[in-house]
Amino acid sequence: MSAPPKPVPLTTVESTETSESGAQTLTLSVGPQHSGSGHMRLIVEVDGDIIVNVAPDPGYVHRGIEKIIELRNIIKSIPVIERPSIIDASNLNHAWVRSIEEIQGVEVPRRGQYLRTLLNEMNRIMSHLYWLSIYGVFLGHTTMFMWPLGDRELFIDLAEKLTGARITYSYLVPGGVRRDLPPGFAEEAVKRTEYFEKRLKEYDRIFFNNPLFTSRAKGIGVLSKEKAIELGCTGPTLRGSGVDADLRKDEPYAAYPELDFEVSTRPDGDSFSRAMVHMDEMRESCKIIRQIVKKIPSGPIRRKAPIVLPRGVAYGRVESARGECSFYLIGEGGDKPYRARYITGSYRNMAAIPAVLLGNRLADMPTAWWSIDYWPVEADR
Amino acid sequence: MSLSHEREDALVQKLKENFPADIKETNIIRRARLEVTVAPEKIKDVAAFLRDKLGFDHPNGVSAVDYNRENRFEIVYHISSMRVKDMRDLVLDLKESVPRNAPKVGSLVSVWSGVENYERESFEMFGIEFDGHPRLEKLFLTDNWDGPPPLRKDIRFPTD
Repeated sequence: MSAPPKPVPLTTVESTETSESGAQTLTLSVGPQHSGSGHMRLIVEVDGDIIVNVAPDPGYVHRGIEKIIELRNIIKSIPVIERPSIIDASNLNHAWVRSIEEIQGVEVPRRGQYLRTLLNEMNRIMSHLYWLSIYGVFLGHTTMFMWPLGDRELFIDLAEKLTGARITYSYLVPGGVRRDLPPGFAEEAVKRTEYFEKRLKEYDRIFFNNPLFTSRAKGIGVLSKEKAIELGCTGPTLRGSGVDADLRKDEPYAAYPELDFEVSTRPDGDSFSRAMVHMDEMRESCKIIRQIVKKIPSGPIRRKAPIVLPRGVAYGRVESARGECSFYLIGEGGDKPYRARYITGSYRNMAAIPAVLLGNRLADMPTAWWSIDYWPVEADR
Repeated sequence: MSLSHEREDALVQKLKENFPADIKETNIIRRARLEVTVAPEKIKDVAAFLRDKLGFDHPNGVSAVDYNRENRFEIVYHISSMRVKDMRDLVLDLKESVPRNAPKVGSLVSVWSGVENYERESFEMFGIEFDGHPRLEKLFLTDNWDGPPPLRKDIRFPTD
């Protein structure tokens, strides 16, 4: 790999350069206007239509959330923490409350743990569906744009019943959750997940088994197992490269130790593998949701937790839709943290973008890049 | 899940045996969470040892912490292992301290290539220089940002 391209002004076609071998390359700026992916730019150098160099240029939606958290008390930070990925809000929220509880030494009641897991899994499906609809846009498949967004409403409505909000819930608080299950929720959840599983089969028929998709995704954007580990990739990107790492199994938290589910992996590391990991995970999440509404124990949903963060340090992490989301939290005894380092799945997978794009054709860029499920807002924080 | 710290104790023991003078402090926060503070000039050797001999092949992130009252920055590498399946729940915090008025340390990109972006962020947000980093430039901040590193403790928000 040659040196990364130099920063260039924001124009569509940047510059042509002649390399030492005499080949002329062209540097392109992809983004940062919202092309269906969020605001971020990729500086791509092409030789003919082969990508020879890539540099991600994030930061267009950076909000300095780590600083904002330092200036607010730990409860007021919850809505801020959800903002980077509102389509996966409860998982980010979970990482935050988990690290707080670890310093405070607060145990969450079992019913609270189950409710957390319930919303987390609903969020995983919603987030994967959003990813899938954008993938449809990227590949010019209008049906695959409309269907997932439509079916996402199934779970948005369910989440609204549970939490009162459609997407940003602030449902998890230190010590437990805010609200208990509404009446009739279990039946509704079973009905909706069973319907959704049938829809997933239709997705397979129209998109994932469709040669228009498979011919564009198989063998494209290969990320080897060793490279994925070395770059610190996480979530579906890591599992798509054949590593069966999932914090829900490796470091079981909330209600996951009591639930039965499979970790989905694919050995090939190409765009198709990463896409299929997302599909498998949605199926598993449906199973988990049904288990939860069946097995949920009775009891309190919340235990009183102090509003201060005692002196101490914690590294709290959860498996969010895009991989490990973690907080390195340092408390000094007040109601605000001394430092709250916020590392999200997308930020970690940013390192994989050049790795999957190099050597591919420019026309394969949407397939390869979006299979990582890189969410610019989540990465920028 | 057992609550014993045998695994963590064994890791600390191995590190201390191999780097008797350079491991300044170790702390087991809880099961599967371990802090190891090393001398900045030796961090690369310790990191390579962790990767090659103890299986820590997976960088989870890098945090910088500004302890302005103690006049130092702390750089924390959060690393874990994918190769050793029994250790996947473990996160080791490899820490080093640098004086606040001369924040310059060696980069660990040559050990874990995945830390490149995190070190860049620590550079722009805290002004810490990483010697040997392949591309020490701004990552998230705009190119025309000429203010101080914004995540330092002495930088206040207008509303603060």
